Amino acid sequence: MTTSQTAAPLLIAEQVIKRYGKFTAVNGVSLTVAARTIHSVIGPNGAGKTTLFHTLTGTVPLTSGRIVFDGQDITRMPDHQRVRRGIARSFQVTSLFGRLSVRENLRLAVQGAHAASGYDIWHPPQGARAHAEQIDALLARLQLTALANRGAAELSHGQQRRLEVGMALAARPKALFLDEPTSGMGIDDLDAMKALIRSLAADHTVILIEHNMGIVMDISDRITVMQQGRVLVEGAPEEIRNDERVRTAYLGNMITGGRQ
Amino acid sequence: MNVYLLQIVNGIGLGMLYFLLAVGLSIVFGLLRFVNFAHGAFYLIGAYLAYQLVHWGVSFWLALAVAPLAIGVIAWLLEKALLRHVYDHPHEFHILITVGLALVIQEVVILIWGPIGDNVDVPSTLQGVVIWGSFIYPKYRLFVIGFTAIFALALWWILEGTRIGSAVRAGSESTETVSLLGINVFRILSLVFALGAATAALAGVLAAPIRGVDPFMGLEALSVAFVIVVVGGMGSFGGALIGGLLIGIIQSVMSTLWPQGAQLMIYVAMAAVLLLRPHGLMGRG
Amino acid sequence: MKALQRHRFLLLAAFATVLLPMVLRSGSLGTEVLIYGLAALGCNLLLGYTGLLSFGQGIFFGLGSYAVGILTTRAGLPVVPSVLLAIVTGAVAATLVGAFAIRQRGAYFVMLTLAFAQMFYFLAYSLPSLTGGDNGLLNVPTPSLGLLARLGIAPQSPWQFYTITAVVFLAVFWLLERVTTSVFGRTLLAIRDNEARALAIGYDTRHFKLAAFAISGAVTALAGAFHAMMTGIAPLSDIGYHTSEMILVMTVIGGTGNLFASLLGAAFYLLMSDWLSTLWPRWLLLLGLALIAVSLFLHQGLWGLGEKLAGLARGRRNPAGEHRA
Repeated sequence: MTTSQTAAPLLIAEQVIKRYGKFTAVNGVSLTVAARTIHSVIGPNGAGKTTLFHTLTGTVPLTSGRIVFDGQDITRMPDHQRVRRGIARSFQVTSLFGRLSVRENLRLAVQGAHAASGYDIWHPPQGARAHAEQIDALLARLQLTALANRGAAELSHGQQRRLEVGMALAARPKALFLDEPTSGMGIDDLDAMKALIRSLAADHTVILIEHNMGIVMDISDRITVMQQGRVLVEGAPEEIRNDERVRTAYLGNMITGGRQ
Repeated sequence: MNVYLLQIVNGIGLGMLYFLLAVGLSIVFGLLRFVNFAHGAFYLIGAYLAYQLVHWGVSFWLALAVAPLAIGVIAWLLEKALLRHVYDHPHEFHILITVGLALVIQEVVILIWGPIGDNVDVPSTLQGVVIWGSFIYPKYRLFVIGFTAIFALALWWILEGTRIGSAVRAGSESTETVSLLGINVFRILSLVFALGAATAALAGVLAAPIRGVDPFMGLEALSVAFVIVVVGGMGSFGGALIGGLLIGIIQSVMSTLWPQGAQLMIYVAMAAVLLLRPHGLMGRG
Repeated sequence: MKALQRHRFLLLAAFATVLLPMVLRSGSLGTEVLIYGLAALGCNLLLGYTGLLSFGQGIFFGLGSYAVGILTTRAGLPVVPSVLLAIVTGAVAATLVGAFAIRQRGAYFVMLTLAFAQMFYFLAYSLPSLTGGDNGLLNVPTPSLGLLARLGIAPQSPWQFYTITAVVFLAVFWLLERVTTSVFGRTLLAIRDNEARALAIGYDTRHFKLAAFAISGAVTALAGAFHAMMTGIAPLSDIGYHTSEMILVMTVIGGTGNLFASLLGAAFYLLMSDWLSTLWPRWLLLLGLALIAVSLFLHQGLWGLGEKLAGLARGRRNPAGEHRA
């Protein structure tokens, strides 16, 4: 996979700080992601990875810092506006519309990416508004076609995690933020998810939080390692794998996955 | 005596009662994360129980001790029997079940005591006024201020200084944390709920000699408690105190300036606070 | 056939409006059922479809009542523009109240709606020159249609106004059906299910909630307007807590799973009230118990109970009707 060195970065985060009262979860993190690359964020629990995600996607407002996406300063924008700019995310703890069907979940996600969508109080979501083709394609990619009409809450954990990624994909975003997509998955589901994330690499920019080093080392173009709210080190997978500080941070026993 | 001074002192007395009403609601919300719409009903039956006891010749002081305790026990039983079962349901049903409970309690009160209210005599030791120079003021109302102040201190000490209190405060952050500390969360929930109900009942007992008892005083108390909690900030002890005093004083002073609008002003004050500080004067996010 | 299936609730509602005159002796009771049915529909839009539990529906009901009262008796406006202005008043007030209230979530939101309900009550109380204070506004005219007289329904008969109300009710029911099955309605359901998720996929949930409030306020004010026209009075109690509570209780007991359940809830409440209150004045106690029962194990209310019983009768367990898309 090639990384584009000459194009302007898609995402630039400068000195992002997020405080909750007296507790500083993210303490001056800077990050640059080039388009069509996979950038992973790893680190021990409590490092502030998910909080960083929240600030990048607009789920929570940041305390200070600057975020520029696709040339636009989006620092003050809440998440629902960032979706229009091309940012979409999945959550670490599965967050779906449990009482609605899988198809409806995806339809809402597809619709949400269009400006002024959803305000139509007259027409039911039929015909063009059903986005049937796009959703069918998504279902196929997620291997959820057979479950299209089931309630999202009825799916197995692994299926829900795939749908979780699908919710982000549905927006056809420029950047996908995936927060521990494989969390809690069993061996059987893991391969399907791995394949899905690998396939994403071809046509999306992906920012990924993951604990599964097998995936991280295999597909990342760059890796940012966080610890206690700060960036410990950043670099290509080989550099990270051999970095002493990273080994210490992880107590040396987690970065053995991937190709040796 | 200056009428405004009189109303301010009245306002303080009223405010302390409002504090009592609000603090129970606030703490219960902090821990159970739902608002007890039967809170006013506990105020109601606290007042009526005291009324009945006094009617039977029991001393007011005994009623003051017994009624809140009895209501606390009733609340504890209700939490175990009913409310516990809705915790995993959507939050609308937490509220609706307590609304149903409030309705049942109100109707039972009317069933027993009739739809028209009655007066409650001020205890004989507290009848009459104190005279300090030009300051003339009913003894009972002064007693209410003093008593609730002492109670407030005691409550604050329990919350800040004891293990149970820390558990309650920690529990309002996260029930998982509390259970990790080895404290039985469920037992605390029932206890806190009972405590909240008991403070509401106490407010009812104290208020009864001032405003009498009637079956609809529960609703009035509930709405005011909500206003205090909104103004002071949910889950804040200090907020309940400041909010209570502020609203009590506003209401009392307004009852001289514009009697018809006195009740309205407390809600206008609430709207103003909401505009400027959406989480209340001392609320956290 | 598919169209019939899709509009089954509208058909049920139409059937009910035809049934009521046959079953009830009192035209005004029938009209009351439809009026409060409208109010319950407004409440259900917020609760069942947007997930917002509002204790403030009495505000809009009362405002609709006062608007028609003031405009017809003081300003001398004819009925139709008065009612239309009442609807607008309801929508505007609901947007204002909503704007304040939706800044908070969950129980905090509910508390605020109750506090605002009290505020409007005391506002109405403290402006007797406008609202008639304790006495309310009197001599609100009841409209009649010459057309109906020619159809054989005497202008003085309460069934005249019932017919007018029924037509309006069904029209509003149909409109709400369109709204709730529309793209907008589906988005409301999503917001109710998981607001954080809705935000994350691009919906400004505040706008949706406000829109739901505005529609709810409009429908509820319409109900209040009709109530004033039916009784001839715009009383203070229409804007009081008891009205808010009553509307909410009707909505919950009927069931929040579909629109027809709201009519069911209103009918149940009013018919029980009419029947029981003479037998036992404390019948509200049973209502409180019913609320407790619904909260414990009958979340879908009477409609859900009906579904469960129908399922048992058919010999298998039916899941209670939740919205599915």
